[in-house]
Amino acid sequence: MNILQVSARLKALARWVKQSVQKNLNSIFVVLGFFLFWEAVVWIFQIPPFILPAPSTALSHLLFPRADANYRWSYHISSTVLAIGLSFIATSTVGILIAIALAWSKRLKEIVLPAFVFINSLPIIAIAPIILLWMGYGVFTNMVIAFLVGFFPVVINTITGLEAVEEDLLDLVRYLNASKLQVFLKIRIPNALPYIFSGLKICSTMSIVGAIVGEFIASDRGLGYIIINAQYSMNTPPIFSSLILISLAGALLFTLVSLLERILMPWTALEAEP
Amino acid sequence: MHGNTPLLSIRDLKKVYKTRDGELEALGSVTFDIYPQEFVSIVGPSGCGKTTLLKIIAGLLPKTSGEIFVDKNQFDPSREVGFVFQKPLLLPWRKVIDNVLLPIEILKLDKRRYIEKARALLELVGLSGFENNYPNELSGGMQQRVSIARALIHDPKLILMDEPFGALDALTRERMNLELLRIWSESQKTILFVTHGIQEAIFLSDRVIILSARPSRMIKALDIELPRPRTMEVRSSAEFGVYSLEVYRCLELT
Repeated sequence: MNILQVSARLKALARWVKQSVQKNLNSIFVVLGFFLFWEAVVWIFQIPPFILPAPSTALSHLLFPRADANYRWSYHISSTVLAIGLSFIATSTVGILIAIALAWSKRLKEIVLPAFVFINSLPIIAIAPIILLWMGYGVFTNMVIAFLVGFFPVVINTITGLEAVEEDLLDLVRYLNASKLQVFLKIRIPNALPYIFSGLKICSTMSIVGAIVGEFIASDRGLGYIIINAQYSMNTPPIFSSLILISLAGALLFTLVSLLERILMPWTALEAEP
Repeated sequence: MHGNTPLLSIRDLKKVYKTRDGELEALGSVTFDIYPQEFVSIVGPSGCGKTTLLKIIAGLLPKTSGEIFVDKNQFDPSREVGFVFQKPLLLPWRKVIDNVLLPIEILKLDKRRYIEKARALLELVGLSGFENNYPNELSGGMQQRVSIARALIHDPKLILMDEPFGALDALTRERMNLELLRIWSESQKTILFVTHGIQEAIFLSDRVIILSARPSRMIKALDIELPRPRTMEVRSSAEFGVYSLEVYRCLELT
């Protein structure tokens, strides 16, 4: 690689980062505008905080401990972040491996995939209590619930990607007597990467839904627990604090997945030479 | 005219596809020999089974009957064939040099021993300096050059080319024809080239095999005795015109 190429590649990456920052700047302005509007509405109409707290009230709960709602925020935040992170990693890893196994064996796919459709159709709220009953409180229970919510899009997207290979591309290695393993490692799996990442992006939001639902039902810690707990005492501001933090976590995870996509798939950042 | 033994012999090769509406004869009966370092083209109307023929030789399709052999030995396409497809078929996630090295990985050969060769082949096809680019940074003509280098990397005796320049614009195509002749003479390979370009076939080849429409039979194997190296002057010569007319006549286009 000569210096010109290196600089061209760096420029392309820098351009992408700049573009995404600009895009995100717009979103940040939109979000800030939304919060300002919300704040103004609460002040103008004098809405009582137990119905709708102003964002400033909600956020102040994070920074200053209150006598009426003394949550250990750092403890609950780290617990939720851990649950989301572990759920996401476990769901995506297991989902991708299951998809590879199903794409490998057509027979297995025919047997297993309908079962997955069945599981995926079950309302998670309805089966979460059973899982709690079986497994008890804990991060692992949370991960299982999050997995049940998020694995399906990963599996379906990955299988689609593994199977969406041009027949000609397979001929290219078939005439060299490529083994099935080689076809997977050298053609199918890299070809599936863009599909896998769109699955992971869906999974990133699903993991959050799963983790929070898990905390609603099966936990004594985390932002989901705070929401339920504060609801009992009609203490609305901590609920909104939690909601703001959960959205933030969602945006952060999505950004991380996009960044990973860009790093693992550098060729998509490049445009043809004019 | 050939004293030596054929590199590849094809005898009465037939291919019948079974379809829902019955049997479809894709390849009637084809018989010919290819000698070492020869450039042979196959021309014929669309659907005459040119691509089918190449795929059978490469082992991508089973033959229905007939024989393919080298010196009466069975023919192992994976070691002895390099295939250049209509489309470049480069893997977008691999850099140019890693695309060239793909057959080495598939054949489980020692990759380190072929890196220098890959560089040399990229130089041969006029792409030195592009080793570390990704395919989508290259033009269509450049991508097809990479795929030619890839077909040569494992040192096969026979290069099969299936309308490799069909998707290129006319000027690029002319240039690629000249390049291909240079690559062919420098690499000393045997090439079997499928095209529906009659001029292209005559310009490139030692021999042009003319197939009829389906069910295809060999109409004629026409020896092209134009001087080499072939230049644009050769292409504009009277003899070239005579050969073209002969091919047109065989295909009943006159």
